[in-house]
Amino acid sequence: MRINLQQVSRAIILFVFVIFIVRLHYTGDILKLINPKYLMLSKTAAILFLVLFIAQIKRILESDKHDHADHEGHNHDHGNAPFTFRKFISYAIVILPLFTGFFFPMSTLDASIAANKGAMLSLSNNTSKVDDAIEEETTEPDTESIEESTNNEVQQDDNVADPNLYSNTISKEEHDKLIDELSEQNSIEMTDQLYTTYHQEINMNADDYVGKEIKVTGFVYKEESFSANQLVLGRFIITHCVADAGVIGFLTEMDIAEELDEDTWVEAVGTIYLQEYEGDLLPAIKVTEWNVVEEPAQPYLYPISIKIT
Amino acid sequence: MIRGFRSFLIDFSLVILVGLAVYVLSFGDSFSSIIQLPNSVFHMNTIFLSILIEALPFVLIGVLIAGIIQIFVTEDHIKRWIPKNPILAIIMSCFVGALFPACECGIVPIVRRLLAKGVPIHAGIGFLLTGPLINPLVILSTYMAFGNDFKIAASRMILGFLIAVLISIIISVMFKSNQLKHTIEVQQTHTISHNHGSQSIFSKLGHTVTHAVDEFFDMGKYLIVGALLAAFVQTYVSSEALLELGSGQVSSTAVMMGLAYLLSLCSEADAFIAASFSNVFPTTAILGFLIYGPMTDLKNTMMMLSVFKTRFVILFVLIVTIVVFSVLTLLDGFY
Repeated sequence: MRINLQQVSRAIILFVFVIFIVRLHYTGDILKLINPKYLMLSKTAAILFLVLFIAQIKRILESDKHDHADHEGHNHDHGNAPFTFRKFISYAIVILPLFTGFFFPMSTLDASIAANKGAMLSLSNNTSKVDDAIEEETTEPDTESIEESTNNEVQQDDNVADPNLYSNTISKEEHDKLIDELSEQNSIEMTDQLYTTYHQEINMNADDYVGKEIKVTGFVYKEESFSANQLVLGRFIITHCVADAGVIGFLTEMDIAEELDEDTWVEAVGTIYLQEYEGDLLPAIKVTEWNVVEEPAQPYLYPISIKIT
Repeated sequence: MIRGFRSFLIDFSLVILVGLAVYVLSFGDSFSSIIQLPNSVFHMNTIFLSILIEALPFVLIGVLIAGIIQIFVTEDHIKRWIPKNPILAIIMSCFVGALFPACECGIVPIVRRLLAKGVPIHAGIGFLLTGPLINPLVILSTYMAFGNDFKIAASRMILGFLIAVLISIIISVMFKSNQLKHTIEVQQTHTISHNHGSQSIFSKLGHTVTHAVDEFFDMGKYLIVGALLAAFVQTYVSSEALLELGSGQVSSTAVMMGLAYLLSLCSEADAFIAASFSNVFPTTAILGFLIYGPMTDLKNTMMMLSVFKTRFVILFVLIVTIVVFSVLTLLDGFY
């Protein structure tokens, strides 16, 4: 009769997973990993680990009276087989994320990752849609949203939708209204909450926005093909987890572009114009005012989900 | 005496555990500054953890469902539910998969359990293929990612379903046994020896969770290695370099499928990435990314290796690759 060390270590590993997830939530680092939409799911994981841990504790206590001798040759390991090098490796693998999770700093994605993900590619991709998008718009006029906008005109001011960044779900009507309002504004502010929505709209109907003033924040990203006064003010957009992060942002033209290092966060005000980049016309910003800012506490953007009712 | 010593040890280890928890919670950060590594390693670690944190809830739900199947579903139930005719069985399993909101990682332990319970391999694979590919969440996210256009989402579902049926038929011709790493006889004696039928519901639930623990330690390491590999690719392999390989219709489909395999994205999120490529590549290539990724990818292959014979996994990945690629190439004219 002896304590089964493997069962104990399994229990410990399960428990440390609980601590790991709780700690991520506690420190807020979890937002550097996943879209806030999935916070609940991740908490569920912590609870499930706790359930597994409790079951495992029970098993340590029972390990001798319920010897599992009848389990010989069973297709998976119950943690009672002799400890071998092979098992050492598999435990080491399971512990790896806990180790790096506790001891490595959580980093924020930066320009080097943007380069890997083909930032310019995704910036120019959205825009080549311009023609199609306009065509679609004219062939099937969206009567509903037109009605919507006329109805709301009176109470527009006190009814500005401001979806919370961390629960950013809005209805289709609210979304259409936001877009309608956007096209009427002369000065656009790209807030974190509405960045993705506005960005998509400006890219799809770039012609409508030329000449408007825009205020945007992002990190500096450069490419070899850029001219000296060009840079991209980019943001990472997280749909699900950091692994599926994509880059969005605007090509900008500013005099001191050369002096700004990559990954510097800049807040800039300028006017929208159309700039040709490798055969595509993209909406770009001619910057008039700018200043270097600290990296925001929450550097990532999350797409707004539109409820389809 | 020995019993007393044992319970003392347990108490003792619990105390250490709690102490460790408190320590790490309060001092964990001071370690971070000691470790000096290139920045890209930290990026890779962050992406690695992000994939893992995102996948874990699904995997845990998966192993719990597997535990429930192990304890509550008998071989007799399965024999009654699954049609004898392989084609009918395949179509049924693909439909069940399509209604079942699972992801690539969560579904592997469930399928393993089903196969061990006597579900024929072709039906198991049908379920494995459509589970992550076709479900309400995936339809919705695909619809949204492509500017609220239903064409891509519909193509993904319908084509994906047909391809899944086709692959399952090929599997049913090529393989008769369940292809699990261990034989089915062992599974049956195991169940009999457990004699779950006569146990109380409470102890049945207990066994469900214990099975889930074993399943987690079985799957966990493969999930972790898969996530690590995917994070490595994302950090060190430039997508742009990959994309330059594919300029023609056919090669672009191949490149997008390769990208889907290497990136190992969750099927609920991949549409947004695919959408960002939608103007460099023709629709067929985009569909290749959207259909192939959920069926098989780096992370998922690693997990399948924990369940199936290596030879089967290699053949499975090959079959899926060839079928998806040929069907899309043949359909090229329609898009």
